[in-house]
Amino acid sequence: MNKPDDTFGKQVKATFDESVDKLDAATLSRLNRGRHEALAELHRPTRQWSHWMPATGVAAAVLVAVMMLQSPTAVDDFPGAANVTDMEILLGEDSIEMLEELEFYSWIDTADMDSDVS
Amino acid sequence: MDVSTAVFAVSCCGTPITGTRALQKERQLNQFLAEVERRALRIAEIGIRDRDEALDLVQDAMIKLVRSYSERSREEWAPLFYRILQNGVRDWHRRQAVRNRVMVWFGRKPSDDNDYDAIASAPDPIGRAPEEELANNEAMERLDSAVHDLPARQREAFMLRMFEGLDVAGTAVAMGCSEGSVKTHYSRAVHALREQLEEHRPGE
Repeated sequence: MNKPDDTFGKQVKATFDESVDKLDAATLSRLNRGRHEALAELHRPTRQWSHWMPATGVAAAVLVAVMMLQSPTAVDDFPGAANVTDMEILLGEDSIEMLEELEFYSWIDTADMDSDVS
Repeated sequence: MDVSTAVFAVSCCGTPITGTRALQKERQLNQFLAEVERRALRIAEIGIRDRDEALDLVQDAMIKLVRSYSERSREEWAPLFYRILQNGVRDWHRRQAVRNRVMVWFGRKPSDDNDYDAIASAPDPIGRAPEEELANNEAMERLDSAVHDLPARQREAFMLRMFEGLDVAGTAVAMGCSEGSVKTHYSRAVHALREQLEEHRPGE
């Protein structure tokens, strides 16, 4: 490894530290709230994680998976990404919210088409 | 928190911890999180170029650390916290890729990472002359942009070592790789950034 360039490193660090010091009040307030919400976890009983998933989420995941498998053009736009990875993400707990927004995306799509016609 | 509440505080393993110990643990965690939260936010923000999303990721990382690792020693918290955060950043990028695929399927233009508004996210001025403020903001934006454009692993190694000050071993834990890999990624990142940013150094 190269010998560290102290001047370069110090300047980069100083620039970064300055951006940290100058975070605005609203951001600091959100960080503070987030920290206290995290600390509240100390007083909550351990969660019993179930493998229950909302039926609508599962249905939406399957629907999207089928749609993507039948849409090679869309897949080709993202080289290097594997369908297996997509499925893991789609079926992940965090993705349910996104999947539940599919109707909204569809609605936007329809609304745009309507406005194009008119 | 009063003592009666503290007595019923429960650790991640479901083991009740006593009042004094619970208070001490909460104080230590509060201090640790308060120390890292602002740097963590900026690190996440550089990684995903979106402050609101970065705030969410930092809060998630805080919650997961408290929920799962509060019983670990204080020395372990920083590498663990940044490992959670980096995983969050990687997941965020994966979700964006999937979201974009869905948008493409519906014939919508995928969202662009470059929608990031550097001016809206710029720090508040603190009594500087406008020219000086502008120069500083430009330097920050150049740095943000150059670090963001690094390959993901180089970016992680650089930010954890340079910005957060983790040592090689701590960075390896945070990145989930060997210390040798950390050294390689960091060295390449410094080399690339020096080339990109050197020309903007004052007095040159």
